[in-house]
Amino acid sequence: MFEAHSINAEHKDLIHDVAYDYYGQRMATCSSDQSVKVWDQDDQKNWNLSANWKAHSGSVWKVTWAHPEFGQVLATCSFDRTAAIWEEIIGETPPQGERSLKTWIRRTNLVDSRTSVTDVKFGPKSLGLQLATCSTDGVVRIYEAPDVMNLSQWTLQYEINCKLPCSCLTWNHSFSRLHPPMIAVGSDDPSPSNGSKVAIYEYSENSRRWAKTESLASIGVTEPVHDIAFAPNLGRSYHLLAIATKDVRIVTLGPPTEGSSQRFDVQLTAQPEDNLSGTVWRVSWNILGTILASSGDDGCVRLWKANYMNSWKCISILRGDGTQAKSDTSVTNMPTMGQIAAPNQSSTTRYYKLGSITNPNQVQKGLAPIPISKWQPIGRFQRMTWIGSDFTSYGSPPPLEKSAKALCGKT
Amino acid sequence: MSGVRLEVQWSPVHPDKFITWGTDINLYEVKSLKDAPQSSIKISETSAAHLLASNSNHPYVKCVDIYPHNDTDVLLAIGQTNGKVVLTTFGPTVFDCLGLSGKELVPRQLRQCNTVAWNPTEPNLVAAGLEKHRTDHSVLLWDLQRCPHSNGHPPHHHVPSSTMEPARPSGELGLSETAHSLAWLRGQPRCLMVGLNNKHLKLYDFREPGRAVSSTPTKAVYGLAVDPQADHRLTSFVENQIYVWDTRNFEKPVLFLSQNKPVSKVSWCPTRSNLLGVLQRDSSSIGLYDIQPTMVGNDEVEPSFLERAILPGVTGMAGGVPASAVGAITSFSWHPSHENRLLNINLSGHLIDYTVFERITLNWSPSSHIVWTHGWRTLKTVCDKDPIYSSIDSEAILIKKRAMSGYGLRPNLCDNGDLAESKDLKRLWRWLHLSSSLVEEGLVQNSGTGHPGVRSVLKKPEGSQLLGGEPSSSHGQWSEMNACQISAKPYRSDEREQALQLCGWHLDREGFLDQLESDGYYSRAAAIAVFNLRLRQAVDILRRGAEHPRATAPVNLNIVAVALSGFSDDKSSMWRQQCISAKQYLSDPYLRVMFSFLTSESESYEEVLEEKDVAVEDRVAFACCFLSDIKLFEYLRNLTAKLTEEGDLGGMLLTGATPECIPLLQRFLDRSGDIQSVSFIAARVFSPALLKEDTVQEWISNYRNLLDSWKLWTQRAHFDIALSSRTESEKPAQQVFVSCNFCGKSISAFMQGRGRGLFARAPNKSKVCKITSCPNCRKPLPRCSICLLNMGSASGAYSVKAGSTTNRTIDSGLNSEKLAEFANWFTWCQSCRHGGHAAHIMQWFSEHLECPVTSCTCRCMSLDFAAKVISVPAL
Repeated sequence: MFEAHSINAEHKDLIHDVAYDYYGQRMATCSSDQSVKVWDQDDQKNWNLSANWKAHSGSVWKVTWAHPEFGQVLATCSFDRTAAIWEEIIGETPPQGERSLKTWIRRTNLVDSRTSVTDVKFGPKSLGLQLATCSTDGVVRIYEAPDVMNLSQWTLQYEINCKLPCSCLTWNHSFSRLHPPMIAVGSDDPSPSNGSKVAIYEYSENSRRWAKTESLASIGVTEPVHDIAFAPNLGRSYHLLAIATKDVRIVTLGPPTEGSSQRFDVQLTAQPEDNLSGTVWRVSWNILGTILASSGDDGCVRLWKANYMNSWKCISILRGDGTQAKSDTSVTNMPTMGQIAAPNQSSTTRYYKLGSITNPNQVQKGLAPIPISKWQPIGRFQRMTWIGSDFTSYGSPPPLEKSAKALCGKT
Repeated sequence: MSGVRLEVQWSPVHPDKFITWGTDINLYEVKSLKDAPQSSIKISETSAAHLLASNSNHPYVKCVDIYPHNDTDVLLAIGQTNGKVVLTTFGPTVFDCLGLSGKELVPRQLRQCNTVAWNPTEPNLVAAGLEKHRTDHSVLLWDLQRCPHSNGHPPHHHVPSSTMEPARPSGELGLSETAHSLAWLRGQPRCLMVGLNNKHLKLYDFREPGRAVSSTPTKAVYGLAVDPQADHRLTSFVENQIYVWDTRNFEKPVLFLSQNKPVSKVSWCPTRSNLLGVLQRDSSSIGLYDIQPTMVGNDEVEPSFLERAILPGVTGMAGGVPASAVGAITSFSWHPSHENRLLNINLSGHLIDYTVFERITLNWSPSSHIVWTHGWRTLKTVCDKDPIYSSIDSEAILIKKRAMSGYGLRPNLCDNGDLAESKDLKRLWRWLHLSSSLVEEGLVQNSGTGHPGVRSVLKKPEGSQLLGGEPSSSHGQWSEMNACQISAKPYRSDEREQALQLCGWHLDREGFLDQLESDGYYSRAAAIAVFNLRLRQAVDILRRGAEHPRATAPVNLNIVAVALSGFSDDKSSMWRQQCISAKQYLSDPYLRVMFSFLTSESESYEEVLEEKDVAVEDRVAFACCFLSDIKLFEYLRNLTAKLTEEGDLGGMLLTGATPECIPLLQRFLDRSGDIQSVSFIAARVFSPALLKEDTVQEWISNYRNLLDSWKLWTQRAHFDIALSSRTESEKPAQQVFVSCNFCGKSISAFMQGRGRGLFARAPNKSKVCKITSCPNCRKPLPRCSICLLNMGSASGAYSVKAGSTTNRTIDSGLNSEKLAEFANWFTWCQSCRHGGHAAHIMQWFSEHLECPVTSCTCRCMSLDFAAKVISVPAL
């Protein structure tokens, strides 16, 4: 039977967030023990602790990675009313021949909030290095690093007052030039009378400010919202927003129907009838934005997928302990994309085929890594740079190491 | 509410025992479901409670506490409504010989005993809180060592308890006051917190019993509970208000929690700090409050808590909940040592053993990992190597696999379909191949796109009149059977002919139907033959299909052939009536439309045209043959709209690679999430103007981003090359230059243009260009920090023979002409600006951490994390 892999995180208190970097090969965890840990995946796909430090003087609620173009940068937020930006640096004195733990230094501390900072997220890369935080006093703050090479300087660009205590936020990472920057904010305010607990804010280039454009009142989320996530847009004509409240809700925000004064055509596409999971705590999308994972009070991870009728069904349930994974009986009936595209293919064949795919990296074992990969245009150095150093440093030739001498015995 | 309130309590010292009490006191043992005896009650998915003993000797039970210092047997202190505190056991135990069992601790004045509590650290102390009496104290401390015959006397001194004198309490508090609840502090064993008179919480120290150590005025005097993890924190409630106190700052409550209904029990979780369980009256849920410490560093902050409600027995109990489990919970108890485990009991006495799951946080990585937390310490991951993952996220795996296999990049459009693992996509790529080859051969007019659709082929330049207006002169003559005639009149025109070609009906070409036959599509071949009025051929095809052993058609094609050969165009013939009534039983759509066509009364042929199971190209081709211009255009317009709405890739046949197909592909993308196919279709077949559309650009940037985060950079480069080959006229300008240290002019322009211009006349003996100085200002280029030669010289990586660097021998001569050898390239650190030949630098950093230049401590290679991100190699 299936068993999930286990990593002993060794946090001394509850882990509040796990974040993957852009490539999914580094992972950061944060906990009530006030510390943040960074895990790196090695070639055998094992996760190794590469850094561990006390980041705040209160529970660390969330941790998030910046796009690698900006370097190895993390942002955290905490109950201690601050958010912080961290950058990995190469240690000054690592013991010779030994790989030391990576060092992360605090580049800046964002102290504008008077209350607990509940979420922190980097904006889309196209906006430069932007960061949004939200706090229990109901303020969303947008920060920007004007110089991406200097992470210690952040300016508070906008403050949005949401009126309700904020618990979570998510950026829309759409690539389309047609979509203005967009943030969805959730509130965990317990009182249903305070109206919708989700709001969508958009940045208007004309008025140069963020404004609420949709409150999703029509879908009636009045229970506390614990997590919220825009699906990767992936060229879809609509946005998908997952909301973790007393159950899982999935909302599509399509372009407005003609003649409508609404900003979006809002449709609730998923709300499970049987609420077996209890309160939902977290939601997360796969990279294609086709499957949603949610975690609930019953200690299970549920996976949701839309069928071609755009109605979402639970396709799998993973027990929290990872020892058992049971699938709903409906799973076998759920058409996969391949089946939708090829209705005549029998489903069993399909599954069998897909099951036989092993990790592509394994297939490649034995092939030397192609050195060209080191020259991908993803580094953080974008300035036009002069070749070499200033000429004076070559005035007296540096002593050569043995290996260098062997190469050019002439000198 | 019934008179008896059922309570439940884990034993503080026995991990597997608990008691319940209402009228009787029952002792249960928890066992795993497998080991439990038949009579036990199932209390969770995995455990069952086995009734060990029952004690019904004490009718007036008001409160119970279990002796916390002996793990062999269970000793209970029972506070009774008559004010007595009775010590009792289940059956004979070691306590009998100590004379404890059956001992009665009687106050001077009898009145109700509200609460009883064993001291958690000193085993001989038990405290009882009683109702008010004018002349008596309400809090009595009994020291069992002072009780007669219990002070460690050997068993033979034992006297039956019934004959014992009532002991005197060793401590008394609260004269003529009411004690509502009390709780011992663990850290200070003689300290007792008492809720008095609906007015006060008072902390007493029995070493100095005269006055309260500290106190606070409050009405919340009920259900005092001290946090086992932190002695200074305690909670109490009154009605629907819960207060959390800190004894170090006792004046005001730390936190106030308001509930909807009166509270019946509050309890701190003993295994997890800051977690408070709250039970309201008549409620089927237990509220959990995760209370944040109020001190952050040295600052005091607003108290904050996270609230949860758990419904034991409802959530997490798969496979139905027993009816008896539903109902108000009357009590609950945290397990003293098992993490987050609690037991609760409801009105009907149903017990549920429940473990509160910590909030799970989860994430889904771009590289197909799912991670979630389990408890505090463990992370669980599922990755794409696990078999289960392929059943969860087959799309991502498929798209990644296609990307690795070079899907979309095959020079022959048709071949891409074979990699797609999807029938629809395969058909689409094949059609794209067909349309481009038809355009190349000049059989189909090229209307601005390499892949015209049927609609654009049929559309004449503006101002045109209808085309093919006349039915062709050959009036539907059956080619083989002169005897009958069908009423169908095929229309013919050049445009219609081109449309038929696009649909793949190359009847004029040899072997079109044979090809279908040999692929096993007998019914389709027969139907197409009939539509082309070749009845004899259709019958022959069906015959061959029936004989073919491989054919597994559900109907006997022989019978169909017989039926077909009996065709009669007589409107009232029996053949006709029989066919109309029988055709609905044909499961093969092509056979169905064949007979629909033959028996059709009107010229609209709806049954043929609206048959969903017939391929779009066959329906369109049929329409092109038999519909008049007006009807044909209407049909094609409706069909296009419908296929666009459905995101059916077959609609590309109608739209072609024109702006019309963008909504169709968008719809397909919305439905399937297959960004890869639409991006490649755009990259391979869209005209440059079409590629500039915002939507298309969005697809492309999304797909690029997807490849980036999968580290499939080689594949991304190939994709970009395929894309730029479509728009060769707009080659992006050079964006990266190497400029001279002195004059600031680009030197790379000369590097690229070598063999031309400045160096054209230079002897071309060596293929290696030797610019070691700036072509503009003639100042030397910087030196390689390893070999100290000026840049531009060969690194000597291939041949280290002195002086022979110009005649280096390189294996692959072809490559060296195209590209400068990588080893000779310049490279330099973006931070310290030191650099040299790429090969030298790479060799240096394979052995060293620091920069090769003396006294420079820059860790050039480690600075760039991206250098360590390795691309996934191509297949």
